Amino acid sequence: MDTLIYFILVPMVYIAFAVFFIGTAVRLIKIFKAPKHPTTLQIFPDSNSKWLWALHDTFLFPTVRRHNPVLWIFLMLFHIGLLLLIIGHLELFAEFKLFQLIPHEIFLGQGYVGLILAIALLYFLFRRFKSPVRDLSVPEDYYLLILLFLIVIFGSEMDWARRWYAYEEMAVSDYREYLMSLLQLKPYLPETVTDTGHSFMLVLHVFFANLFLMFFPFSQSIHSFLSLPMNKLRRG
Amino acid sequence: MDQKTRDDLLNLFQSKLNEAMRFYLETCTRCGVCTEACHVYASMGQVRYIAAYRAEIVRRLYKKYFKARGKFWPSVGEAKELTEMAVEELFDAAYSCTGCRRCMVYCPFGIDTQMIMSIAKLLLIGAKAEPEILSMLADTSVEKGKSMALFKEGFLEGIKRLEEEVVAKWKLKAGETPIPVDKEGADLLYVALAGAHSIIPAAAIFNAASEDWTLSFFEAVNFGAFVGDPSKTKLILDRIVNEAKRLKVKEVCICECGTAYRVMKQLAGKQPFNVVSITEVHARYLRENRIKLDRTKLNGVVTYHDPCQIARNAGVMDEPRYILGQLTDNFREMTPDPKYNWCCGGGGGLVALGEETLDFRMKSARIKADQVKDTGATILATACENCHTQLSNLNDHYKMNVQVKFLSSMVADALVR
Repeated sequence: MDTLIYFILVPMVYIAFAVFFIGTAVRLIKIFKAPKHPTTLQIFPDSNSKWLWALHDTFLFPTVRRHNPVLWIFLMLFHIGLLLLIIGHLELFAEFKLFQLIPHEIFLGQGYVGLILAIALLYFLFRRFKSPVRDLSVPEDYYLLILLFLIVIFGSEMDWARRWYAYEEMAVSDYREYLMSLLQLKPYLPETVTDTGHSFMLVLHVFFANLFLMFFPFSQSIHSFLSLPMNKLRRG
Repeated sequence: MDQKTRDDLLNLFQSKLNEAMRFYLETCTRCGVCTEACHVYASMGQVRYIAAYRAEIVRRLYKKYFKARGKFWPSVGEAKELTEMAVEELFDAAYSCTGCRRCMVYCPFGIDTQMIMSIAKLLLIGAKAEPEILSMLADTSVEKGKSMALFKEGFLEGIKRLEEEVVAKWKLKAGETPIPVDKEGADLLYVALAGAHSIIPAAAIFNAASEDWTLSFFEAVNFGAFVGDPSKTKLILDRIVNEAKRLKVKEVCICECGTAYRVMKQLAGKQPFNVVSITEVHARYLRENRIKLDRTKLNGVVTYHDPCQIARNAGVMDEPRYILGQLTDNFREMTPDPKYNWCCGGGGGLVALGEETLDFRMKSARIKADQVKDTGATILATACENCHTQLSNLNDHYKMNVQVKFLSSMVADALVR
């Protein structure tokens, strides 16, 4: 068991990040090296400052807001939540003055961000059970949502335990010790991380996150990098 | 399907994989926002007509043959082998899509379904499963470009016969040619369709505006684009480009044909001449007071159908409205607006296939008929041959009780000195 936990928390993390970074880079290079389309792919009417509009289309999903407002609310909550959680994870490595402009305990949102994300993911998943989205979906779409849900639920539980139930055995300083040691390539697992009552949450959280990172470059998640250039094509 | 055929088809597929196409094939999240976008789905309610579903037919082949996943874990994306059956599915997807790109307005990423369907169309050509008539028409156009001398005399005779009708619409001074052809150094080369209705009103308006113009030997329509054959599209286009260069014209004016205009405008590349649509030219004549119109000629409410390839896909939206503003006080817009306008249901080669597609065209464009009826208009104007034919068919089928008219004819009929 200890070996398995060690594998998930150390070598597998390295493998997952390697696959994520190299895979994403290779795939993006291949896509962007392909010849450009010879004609415009613009939709009219024309707009000024096309880059600004493309950014607007990419980050505010105006077409979804217009045609499916409920989905839009969940999409916005999900993507903003994702951003906040990425910031939260960076803060698990070290303190960043920039992020403390709004003073907060680590993980912005007092635990609610994870909760909202989990609900949004369930919404995305269940809407795929119903036609016509059901008819459009392929297994990949379900796998990604289930994987993300598992990551969020185990990750959030650790946050909730600390904040809402005053569970103090695994503190921010313990995570920092573990994560910094990974970053410095001198992996070290503090006992509090591997041998306390809630360790299994961390192990499962990291395990599913590893799977997600390894699948990311080869899945539709690549839209996070392609959405902006595509929206730019539409704006001309 | 034997291995050789499959390999050939996959080579054709590969030839389409430029940067934009890879964006479109990699990105779809199957969120379903495009569900309501397609007029075929809106009219018929079948899932296979949702834009994302059509695109997925092509994308499944991409996932099988152009992604590593296709070898290791094909089921995760429902990757699919290229078989006879897959070819049938490609046909169904490609020839029920009119290429109107309304779904592109809905998609959060802006995926261009028409472009993805161009892969399907090319594979169909490779599998010799495309609508034969479209390829034959494209070949005829290409042939005409190669051996102009054979066609020239017959063409000139035909044009001579139309002159009287042009003069009936707009009298010329003695000695002036009603339909100039092959005039070197003219300002404008007009590319019409094969048919008097595309030449007579246009000629009368050019003459009324004292335009220095000349008529092209070639017809504007590009069957190569309809059937999705890039090399034929280019050959058909080049006939006109070469003629324009030979005659040293400043402008090439495309008649009321959506595909011809978009192909010429966007695919011709940088040339010593400008490409304009006839609608833009008419609006310009009016703005410059080169022609005047009698606004009492039209009775009843007028509405305008924006041809997808001219409006949403090429940006000519204000000009037809300006012209209609000079023709009537009784203009009523359709809802939704031009960017979201419903396709007539006749694009992508469907009208060119005639009776063969009539039943489908009528069923798939019910929503268009409703949109027109909702305006309460009695005159339905448009500026595209395909749209005009399809809307006329819809008018009969759904008893819309409108007169379907070409915008250019309306201008020609209202000309005053």
